[in-house]
Amino acid sequence: MAVTIEWYIALSTILFTLGALGVLLRRNAIIIFMSVELMLNSANLLLVAFAHHLGDATGQVLVFFVMTVAAAEVAVGLALIVAIFQSKKSIDIGDVNLLRG
Amino acid sequence: MIESSSILTVLTFLPIFGVAVILLLKPFNSENDLNIKVVANLTAVATFILSLVVLAMYDSSFAGLQMKHELNWIPALGVKYFFAVDGLSILMVMLTTFIMPLAIASSWNAIETQVKQYYIFLLLLEAGMMGVFLAQDLFFFYIFWEFTLVPMYFLIGIWGGKERVYASIKFFLYTMAGSLLMLVAILYMGLNAGTFSVPELIANYDLYSSAQSWLFWGFAVAFAIKVPLFPFHSWLPDAHTQAPTAGSIVLAGVLLKMGTYGFTRFNLPLFPEASAEAAPLMATLAIIGIIYGAILSFAQTDVKKLVAYSSISHLGFVMLGIFSLNEIGIQGAILQGVNHGLSTGALFFIVGIVYEQRHTRELSEFGGLWRAMPMYAVLSLVVTLSSMGLPGLNGFVGEFSILLGSIGGQTLGASPWIYTAFATTGVILAAIYLLKMYQGMFMGPLDNPKNQSLRDLNGGELAIMLSFLLFIVWIGIAPSGFFTMIDASVADLVTHMQPAIDAVVAANGG
Amino acid sequence: MNLFGLAPLLLILPLIGVFFNTVVGRRLVAADAPSGEKWSGWFATAMSGSAFIVAVLIFFSLPTVDYHAQTVVLWDWFNMPSTDFHVQWAMYFDTLSATMLLVVTGVGSLIHIYAIGYMHGDKDFARFFTYLNLFLFFMLILVTGNSYLMLFVGWEGVGLCSFLLIGFWYDKPNGVGILNGDAARKAFVANRVGDFAMIMAMSLTFWVFKTLEFEGVIETALHMFEEGGKAAPISFGMFTAEFQVVLSAITVLFLIGATGKSAQIPLFIWLPDAMAGPTPVSALIHAATMVTSGIYLITRSNVLFEIVRETGFQMAGIISVPDLVAVVGACTAVYAGLIAFTQFDVKKVLAYSTVSQLGFMIAAVGMGAYVAGMFHLITHAFFKALLFMGSGSIIHGMEHGHHHLHDHGHGGHGDDHHDDHHDDHHEDDFDPQDMRTMGGLWKKMPVTFGVYVIGSLALAGIFPFAGFWSKDEILAHAQVNEFAIFSFINIMLTIGAFCTAFYMTRQIKMVFFGEPRHEAAVHASESNRLMTRPLVFLAVLSVFGGFLNTPNFSEPEGYGSDYASEEKYEESGDHSETEAILAAGGSKTTFTLALEHWLEHSIQSFELTEEGVVHMPHTPIVLQYNVAVTSSIIAIGAILIAWFLVFRGYPMKPEDDDPLQAAPVIGTVWAFFQGLPLDSLYMNGWVKRVFLPLGEISNLIDWDFWHNFVHERLIRDTFVTSADFFSKVLDPLGVDGAVNGVGKSLRNFANGLRSTQTGNVGNYALGLFLGVAAVIAYFVFAA
Repeated sequence: MAVTIEWYIALSTILFTLGALGVLLRRNAIIIFMSVELMLNSANLLLVAFAHHLGDATGQVLVFFVMTVAAAEVAVGLALIVAIFQSKKSIDIGDVNLLRG
Repeated sequence: MIESSSILTVLTFLPIFGVAVILLLKPFNSENDLNIKVVANLTAVATFILSLVVLAMYDSSFAGLQMKHELNWIPALGVKYFFAVDGLSILMVMLTTFIMPLAIASSWNAIETQVKQYYIFLLLLEAGMMGVFLAQDLFFFYIFWEFTLVPMYFLIGIWGGKERVYASIKFFLYTMAGSLLMLVAILYMGLNAGTFSVPELIANYDLYSSAQSWLFWGFAVAFAIKVPLFPFHSWLPDAHTQAPTAGSIVLAGVLLKMGTYGFTRFNLPLFPEASAEAAPLMATLAIIGIIYGAILSFAQTDVKKLVAYSSISHLGFVMLGIFSLNEIGIQGAILQGVNHGLSTGALFFIVGIVYEQRHTRELSEFGGLWRAMPMYAVLSLVVTLSSMGLPGLNGFVGEFSILLGSIGGQTLGASPWIYTAFATTGVILAAIYLLKMYQGMFMGPLDNPKNQSLRDLNGGELAIMLSFLLFIVWIGIAPSGFFTMIDASVADLVTHMQPAIDAVVAANGG
Repeated sequence: MNLFGLAPLLLILPLIGVFFNTVVGRRLVAADAPSGEKWSGWFATAMSGSAFIVAVLIFFSLPTVDYHAQTVVLWDWFNMPSTDFHVQWAMYFDTLSATMLLVVTGVGSLIHIYAIGYMHGDKDFARFFTYLNLFLFFMLILVTGNSYLMLFVGWEGVGLCSFLLIGFWYDKPNGVGILNGDAARKAFVANRVGDFAMIMAMSLTFWVFKTLEFEGVIETALHMFEEGGKAAPISFGMFTAEFQVVLSAITVLFLIGATGKSAQIPLFIWLPDAMAGPTPVSALIHAATMVTSGIYLITRSNVLFEIVRETGFQMAGIISVPDLVAVVGACTAVYAGLIAFTQFDVKKVLAYSTVSQLGFMIAAVGMGAYVAGMFHLITHAFFKALLFMGSGSIIHGMEHGHHHLHDHGHGGHGDDHHDDHHDDHHEDDFDPQDMRTMGGLWKKMPVTFGVYVIGSLALAGIFPFAGFWSKDEILAHAQVNEFAIFSFINIMLTIGAFCTAFYMTRQIKMVFFGEPRHEAAVHASESNRLMTRPLVFLAVLSVFGGFLNTPNFSEPEGYGSDYASEEKYEESGDHSETEAILAAGGSKTTFTLALEHWLEHSIQSFELTEEGVVHMPHTPIVLQYNVAVTSSIIAIGAILIAWFLVFRGYPMKPEDDDPLQAAPVIGTVWAFFQGLPLDSLYMNGWVKRVFLPLGEISNLIDWDFWHNFVHERLIRDTFVTSADFFSKVLDPLGVDGAVNGVGKSLRNFANGLRSTQTGNVGNYALGLFLGVAAVIAYFVFAA
């Protein structure tokens, strides 16, 4: 049985759904962060799969950009989490509601 | 004759340079203000010395403007940066540069709070007044004219007496309100004639002459409030009684002269016919001011208020001289402006000396000070006599010239001597109120224990008094040099006005 | 010998004295009173004496320049090149000013010496001499000025010195309870009223004659009169009037000026109060010199007055100016003479006497008898200075007696009282100037008594004392005066002469004769020699001063027999003959008529004839035997009446009334004059009822109405009220309401939105997903 493009799509969808649910449901900031990474990588997977399937390298190039942005995001995001932890002694996002109007 | 020179610009802005130096000196309210005082005094003295240079360069035989510094400023509107001096203003400039160092020096011990701002405002005021006397462009003049209000407002409002805020606001609003009419008149003339420069406006008389009767009053009200001419005098007693000593000296010494100067510089040459027609009314108001101010002065028990009201009386003489519209009267008026600045400035200084020690100015609190402060008493006597118009001192020279001019008044009707007669009663009244003041302060028994320990003049006060007295006596016995300085310009002014005067006389059946 | 170059010294010397005593003398006296007083007093006297020497030199220089007036220019004073207004500081010497110079510096020097004795012990000794020298300075300016304006400098300056000297003891009340300062102020203000007229007169003079110099004015006036006659039009500015009217105005203004300075009706009120000053001041300023400046002024302007007389212009159709001058003088002479009857203060009697005598002089110059006026001025300076200084000596003696008494009563602090005895003038009710406390002083003060009697006889006009000659000359002129009301002047002056003799006798009687009426008079003693020697010297002058201008005892050869018809011979028209006679007469009288001849060079006499103005030599004065005899009889009669009236039943206690006061008719008159209607008119009528209320009313108008009501209530409050109305009533409804409404609804809306912002990250994330889902749904279903 050949692994067709449909399999990739299904996996990617499952992974993305898991990530989205993690972001929406979990309260630990690190977990949310990891869920975000999961969603990004599910998108990467789909990009690479379609690139191979269509024989066009553009999708793969885009993946590199996404990875770079994700790396930067991790750096900034972790720094933010550390700062929040230092002031709040907690990384529970329920405790952080400074933006409340 | 020096046709053009930038020295007048330097002279006007030299005090501003002093301000800049003071700003760099120290943070506000330092414990030791000595350096600020020294810089302020030096700046004022330097300005005086520079004005002596201007005097040396001044050619009294030339009637027109000299030492011009003329640049286009807003060419689209015809506004010029234009400084120049002539006989109408030279004495006023000298008076300003002479009074200011004395006023600044007299504050040495009197001002204890916010010293830095105080001297800054005084120097700004000096620059403003210089600009008023030197600017020869109406727009440019107006800027200086209004500018002088600001430092004076703060001088009264911050360092004044109990009701200083009230007095300062009244001073500001009253004079400001009058000036706005003048601004309208200035804009009308400037826009019609395409220039704001006074000599060019005079040359283009036809372009605005049809409106001259209301233009005259636009200027006249602004200047009359400043003089102050009866009935616009109500701000003066408040401002004088509340102002600090130096403020009163400058106010009486120079600021009021801006009004009389305005009449000679602008009203007479710009609107000769309207001036000739208004002369009887202006002279009548002046005479009412002479008598009314004198009687009011007599009724006062506060010495400073007494002197303030006497200013109204004295300035009435100046106005009468101007509106006699002949050489003798106008020259007398200009010199009397200087004399009033010296005498009344000195009187305010005298009041300040005793106020500083006793913190009261009620006449009933004093008496017999001669015994306690003999030197002060003698010098005060000379100043009082000068203000009273004793021949041999400066007051008489101006007063007599004015009275002499008024009896030959050109448009004062067929009986100009009536004006003179009423004005001359001011001489009697001056003796009554000034002697009341002098007797109340210096004669009688020294029975108030608080007065017995008063100290006599110290070195600095003596020096200031002697500076005043030098010119009080000098002008008194040898005024011809002063008259010579202004003679050519005044003669030129009268010649310029003569056709208009003759026309008015002819129209009135003279 | 031409020494006019020395003239500036006349002014410089007194000024040096002023500065010396202000700066050095004051400290010397404070450091060591006895030696300091010597320095201060004698230095001032030396300055005055030197000025006298200069005056003598100038006097003797005048003949060398043939009596032509000399002008010594000092520097420019007023100078406006574009106008005619040019006045110099210049000294003018002619025989008139030289005469005045001698009187002022001569009598002045004697009074300086006297004052050293009189002021001894006063702590303000140096200040006194400062003032005396300052006075001398201004008086010399007055008499030497070459223009009206310079005369006015001296005129005001002496007024100032008078003010300072009347108020010299400024911290003490004087005997009658008026503050010395008030008396001084009254003098100054009364003088200022005269000065008002002077300023007006000078202003008119300038516009008419285009100069203020005496020579120029006189020349121009004669020229204008000659050219245009009395109706010549004068015009300046829009003003036009006839020459005679303008000139009358000028001269009447000069008269008002003179009434102020020379204490004539109605301005004489200041002079009696001026006696508050130290006695040497009364002698110098208020008798001998300053008060005579009005006479000097009119004499100096004699040409103007004579032109007015020639024009015959009558003011308001009633009286011409020269006649008015004479009437004012004559009325003052009588009025003040009568007041002098009623006085008990030894100096006040002399003060009113001075007013009366000044009235004689004014009447003389008003009648055109300028020389007679000047002559009386000179002799009066001698004997009135003498009398005042004599009265000072009496006061001194009385005080001395009083202190003597006091020392015995309170032994122990006698020395203190001697050192500053001026300070305790008024320690109790004793008034050393009240004649009722005196009596019998001739034994105690023989020298003073002697000179006082000489002075009184001279004043009363007894032959051959000085006053006899000068007063007779005035009376002789009064006899021929042509003033419309028949003999008015003559009668008034004769009554004045009677009064003079009467009150002087009364005074002598009260002071020197009878029994002492107070303990102080018992212990009075003669003053020191510094005070008595000048008195003796002046007494000599009072005896012989009359020979300055002795008239001819018989009429000159060939001169018309009727002196009284001086006018008649002028009308006769035979001028060649009369002039020849007059020339002869003039030369003949050179030796006898010294002053007349001397002043002839300054006082022009002229006639208007068909050929124009003709200068005339002076007509010599001949002794009028009828006048001399009449006036002598009147004077002697007055003396006898006074002597017997006062001697008989005279009160022995100070409280008692004068016998005249009790007499029926005389008593009423007495009360009238003692009440001083004019004086109380000034103090109670003018000052209290008019000027003080006027000040209050003006203050009410200016402060309460104009300042507080119009400016504060009307303008400021209207502004504030309307501003309040706008901000609190109108604005909330209108402009502000609309703007606020928009704002308010926006805020409510925003508040609603606000609740969506929970700050919860989960919520934001959910929103994000929903949004993405919506976008995707849009593309899926819309596409």
